[in-house]
Amino acid sequence: MAAPLLEIKDLVTVFHTSKGRLPAVDGVSLTIERGQTLGLVGESGCGKSVTAMSTLRLVSSPGRIESGSITFTRDGESIDLVTAAEKQLRKVRGGRIGMIFQEPMTSLNPVFTIGNQIAEVVQLHRKVSRSEARSRALEMLRLVRVADPEQRLDAYPHQLSGGMRQRVMIAIALACEPDLIIADEPTTALDVTIQAQILELLDELQSRLGTAILLITHDLGVVAETCDDVAVMYAGRIVEQASAVELFSHPMHPYTKGLLQARPNVDARDSGPLATIPGMVPPPQDFPSGCRFHPRCSHARKPECNEESPSLREISSGHFVRCHFAEEINS
Amino acid sequence: MRVTEETEAAKPSRGFWSDAWQRYRRRPIGMLALCFVLFLTSVALFAPAIAGTKPVVCSYKGNLYFPCLGYFNRSWESPIFTKDKFRGTYPENLKQKDPESWAIWPLVFQDPYRRVRENEWPGRRENPSRDEGHPTRLNLFGTDQYGVDIFAKMVHGTTIALLVGFVSMGLAGSIGVLVGALGGYFGGWVDMITSRLTEIVMCIPTLVLILALIAVVEKPTIWKTMAIIGATGWTGIARLTRAEFLRLRQTEFVMAARATGAGSLRIMFRHILPNALAPVLVPITFGIASAILVEGSLSFLGFGPPPPTASWGSVLNSARSNLQLWWLVVFPGAGIFLTVLAYNLVGEGLQEATDPRLREAKK
Repeated sequence: MAAPLLEIKDLVTVFHTSKGRLPAVDGVSLTIERGQTLGLVGESGCGKSVTAMSTLRLVSSPGRIESGSITFTRDGESIDLVTAAEKQLRKVRGGRIGMIFQEPMTSLNPVFTIGNQIAEVVQLHRKVSRSEARSRALEMLRLVRVADPEQRLDAYPHQLSGGMRQRVMIAIALACEPDLIIADEPTTALDVTIQAQILELLDELQSRLGTAILLITHDLGVVAETCDDVAVMYAGRIVEQASAVELFSHPMHPYTKGLLQARPNVDARDSGPLATIPGMVPPPQDFPSGCRFHPRCSHARKPECNEESPSLREISSGHFVRCHFAEEINS
Repeated sequence: MRVTEETEAAKPSRGFWSDAWQRYRRRPIGMLALCFVLFLTSVALFAPAIAGTKPVVCSYKGNLYFPCLGYFNRSWESPIFTKDKFRGTYPENLKQKDPESWAIWPLVFQDPYRRVRENEWPGRRENPSRDEGHPTRLNLFGTDQYGVDIFAKMVHGTTIALLVGFVSMGLAGSIGVLVGALGGYFGGWVDMITSRLTEIVMCIPTLVLILALIAVVEKPTIWKTMAIIGATGWTGIARLTRAEFLRLRQTEFVMAARATGAGSLRIMFRHILPNALAPVLVPITFGIASAILVEGSLSFLGFGPPPPTASWGSVLNSARSNLQLWWLVVFPGAGIFLTVLAYNLVGEGLQEATDPRLREAKK
């Protein structure tokens, strides 16, 4: 079997602050195959964005990748992004792995035209002339279906709406035909109709260009629509990982179950108030001992849950769960 | 989709700089000051056509010449006039050596570097000297004790006054932006070093530092003076640039630029700097004003450019030993005062036009 496109192994990213050493990402392992979409789901503050940033080594001080490896394989050549030289890494960023950010309003440089910004990425990674880069920018705007691409090329970011800007961000991420796109909550800042359009666009571009996507989101609806595989993160760790179909039909971890129950259901009217998971994701300095979910878990038992940290076990084929009592709960 | 786009397009929305310009235009004082600066710039550019003893254009032995360019650079004055032994006096020589010749003269026939002699301009007597040179119709701003016309000196000194501002602040701006950018972008020990360096330079009184540097430099010229003013005046710019970089390096678009594979230098100077330019431009404008003042003080103290150079400060210096010649103090003094005032007003207007916090406070 060929090596997967991206393999994250036991990634640990810590922030050294006055509160001490805070492991925002604590031993995360993920695998993304070529052309696949992996959804990384979790509540705010669970470490999913830090995972994404770590992948391109963009975590800024005081954050630091402490251990683990991120192996990116292309044409049979593998490089470890954690140890790669900055120069090599720069070729990967934007060239092999594109990134889409959460806030399209602030992710574009306000003083340059969007044509300029798309062309810049092309010129950074390919030996092309100015005019070639510009025509590539135009081509990209057409690809992401921005209306009047010729005029938009010379527009400044403030002249575009949020949805348009996110399209431009996608155009920048795709401009060099990367093998992987990391989309960090690409639709969170957009309103619902635009969200659907952007997701549709991503989906369509993926099937056309064969790009793999790491989709980071807290929206389970988005995951159900677009992802092949799903990993659920809680407090810096992956608690459950399976194919999307499997995860939605047979969620096994109490946390995943809670998340799925907390969704509004259109069919069941008058079903009473929405189910919630009590409490909040603990900040890294307050991670509990044992299973990090146990203070909020209705199935938690003493002493196992608060003393012993569960490992990620394969319960059924391709379905991994981090829970001591997964079988018991689900029988 | 269609609808949202059209409403978006219908709302006129301007870029940052055109927006700032709109705001700037609304302040009459700022506009007046800007006009004065533009006026000074044109005086500096056309100085030889305003006051001088060399024709702006002349026809001599069948060819056209522009001898007035010799005021900018000796070699731009055609060598034919040296060969024909003009010795700098054109009116009689032109007529004597080529009766066919014609010339267009500067508005005021006076020379900033020497005394105009008797009958140099047909029928005009020699410039007065010593304490007789008070302002007259021929010598608008009077003459100094050697009989050199002050108006011509001031007109030609405008170039230097403006150059001092631009060259020294260009240098100070470059150093300040570089130091501030390095410190603000990289932070950590780099910031530690650049910040301490800035503070050390700030601690030393500028004039004392400049005098010390001048003592070291051999053969002071106006360019060296500018370089020294620039090399000591970058601290404020560095601090502001650093603050802007500290703020901007945290923004999402900088992160996005890094995610596209841009290197540190590219991010600093292509992505961050254009966004930091407005707040940095304001202290540069104020710096131009203070550079002009410093040059005036230096020349007054006698540490300015050596004699043949016409600068406002050196006119003031010549008044030092003859304080009863009031015109030697009033005219260059007023020139420096108005120029510095104008630059400060431009800077203030710029600040108000680009800084949203100031705008709020005014309301």
